[in-house]
Amino acid sequence: MSFQPNIVAFLCNWCSYTGADLAGTSRLKYAANIRVIRVMCSGRVEPTFVLKAFQEGADGVLICGCHPGDCHYHEGNYKCLRRYHLLEKYIEQLGMDKKRIHLEWISASEGKQFAELADDFTKQITELGPCKVKEVMENIKE
Amino acid sequence: MEETRIGVYVCWCGTNIAKMVDVEDVAREAGKLPNVAIAKDYKYMCSDPGQDLIIKDIKEHNLDRIVVSACSPRIHELTFRKALENAGLNPYMFEMANIREHDSWVHTDRAEATAKAKALISGAINRVKWHESLEKRSVDVHPATLIIGGGISGISAALEIADSGKKVFLIEKTDALGGTAAKLDLTFPYMYSAQQMIQPKIKKTNNHEHVEVLYNSELKDLSGYIGNFEAEVNQNGKEIKIEFGNIIVATGLKSFDPSVIDNYGYGKFSNVVTSLEFEEMLLSGNILTKEGREPEHIAIIHCVGSRNQDFHEYCSRNCCMTALKYSNQISSALPNSNIYQAYADMRAFGKGCEELYTKTSRKNVIFLMFDQKKGMPTIKKASLKDNFEMLIEMDEKLSGESVEVPADLVILMVGVEKQEKAKEIGQTVGISLCGNSFYIEKHPKLDPVATTTDGVYVVGSCQSPKDIPDSISQANAAAARILATINKGSVTVEVTTAEVNEDMCCGCQTCISVCPYTAISFDEEKKVSIVNEVLCKGCGTCGSACPTGAIKSKHFTDQQILSQIEGLMFKSFELQEV
Repeated sequence: MSFQPNIVAFLCNWCSYTGADLAGTSRLKYAANIRVIRVMCSGRVEPTFVLKAFQEGADGVLICGCHPGDCHYHEGNYKCLRRYHLLEKYIEQLGMDKKRIHLEWISASEGKQFAELADDFTKQITELGPCKVKEVMENIKE
Repeated sequence: MEETRIGVYVCWCGTNIAKMVDVEDVAREAGKLPNVAIAKDYKYMCSDPGQDLIIKDIKEHNLDRIVVSACSPRIHELTFRKALENAGLNPYMFEMANIREHDSWVHTDRAEATAKAKALISGAINRVKWHESLEKRSVDVHPATLIIGGGISGISAALEIADSGKKVFLIEKTDALGGTAAKLDLTFPYMYSAQQMIQPKIKKTNNHEHVEVLYNSELKDLSGYIGNFEAEVNQNGKEIKIEFGNIIVATGLKSFDPSVIDNYGYGKFSNVVTSLEFEEMLLSGNILTKEGREPEHIAIIHCVGSRNQDFHEYCSRNCCMTALKYSNQISSALPNSNIYQAYADMRAFGKGCEELYTKTSRKNVIFLMFDQKKGMPTIKKASLKDNFEMLIEMDEKLSGESVEVPADLVILMVGVEKQEKAKEIGQTVGISLCGNSFYIEKHPKLDPVATTTDGVYVVGSCQSPKDIPDSISQANAAAARILATINKGSVTVEVTTAEVNEDMCCGCQTCISVCPYTAISFDEEKKVSIVNEVLCKGCGTCGSACPTGAIKSKHFTDQQILSQIEGLMFKSFELQEV
């Protein structure tokens, strides 16, 4: 069977989670690899969460928040963006491809965009192949 | 953690979930997970028997945490939290796995969707293990209400609230109340005079002892939360501060500008007018061309800017019936005129509307259908020898023929769109716009009046194109909701705020710099940060910035989320096993 990546997606409650719900109510179809974790704000997404996902076997991590200016908490998405850039660097320093993480703004009305993003990101991660972090970590333990 | 007893319930949602997810298999597998005391599947978990099942099991099997895997928590999280409460459990000992919107509705392979459902439920089970009891918090409600926009919706809501003796601040950007409805002559389908309906309401609003109308005013800034808002309003350059407990946004609509459609020559031909310009003509009592002549041929073109991918995809809702109203008004005023309706689809839903269509179609009105996708009608100047001014060329859909329609006056049924400042106002009060730039309600079916920001309601055409009765219904609904909270005197608010563990806080004050609500202050004596729970809205930004892990986002703790991640990966994508 061909490689099926595991993708963890952190979605903010107000815009992106609602956007993903809209993809559902609109019955849009997308790849089944994405598993969503709801946070109140993309600003809540700690780099630790992303690293934990890789450690547990994720092949890619997606973070979605409200568009700039639309954040339910005014500016949590900007804080997320700042952290994201640092996280990209950090991930590269760990020897991982920074394409394994992705930040995107999805509004509550962008169900279609969410479905497309889910497919595009799944494709991108499939092309990158399995992430070895979990395997390496387990070898270290042994 | 060993003693934790979790109940897991997998919903079929009729066939909505069960068709794509093997719910029985999912429940069986979930039952094998650690700490799961009981796992069941049921047709409709949200139904009364579904909820009773949970309540009964909690008592009989001594469950202390519940996972329901069903639809989006945005729909039924509160329903199930209430069920837990009824069973004597803290409502926060609950987690939902969304296997409908995020799974069964969006995937096409039953094996994949079932595997995903298992992963999502396993994540929820892992998370709920770490849930903690949270106590409800209530805040007092300021009895005043702010209404933004003095159209028919704003006025109706204002009167409803003020008549019960509660204060209303009504801010209106222009120097007059009434909005779009005050610009109309008669109303469809019963031909009541808009003026006779709205003018007494305007007068009553202006003279009401509990309504303070602020003309030429705009909302500049808003702070606070449900029950306790404070706004800065700019009135003619003067800053006014007001306090209130709830907000109604009733900013209404703007007419579509037809000059962007070349075919119609609006702005080029003086006798091509918009529907609102024609209302002015009707109000003045004379239907005349710009040259002061009585028009012999009058054409009405539908769907201008509406139901067209190039402009607005949605239906503007009022134009078809307004166009029929025009036919009736014109045929009584100018009985010898020829009236042409160029329509794309006749939409006559609503009380009395189909009847208006039937009645109008029996009159001397020519109905011509066009296909928006294949090309709109084109208005051209008639030749000098013709005894009419313009010629409309169109492909008539039903006959399949190209026809030419003479016209001395053309009325464009312009659609409606968002107010110019819809986005800014939305950002100020904390509500978002949908893809069509109308405000998003809390839930499209179950709560079309409230918004995702507690204490903020949307009414009238700022939420979607509406006619007068629907606007008033929604306005009165919002007023009733607000009066209910004012009468109660207090509302319960989310308790998922941040909390500082003083023993772990190193006093770096990073949290203070990232908090968007200035809800965190520094205790100089103890050298630690302190969260003001009333100001905190629970975004969790401080929690993710804290270097020592001293700040906990209640109900979104590190432990809960990290554990959920572990759960999600419990069984990686091993499809072969399904």
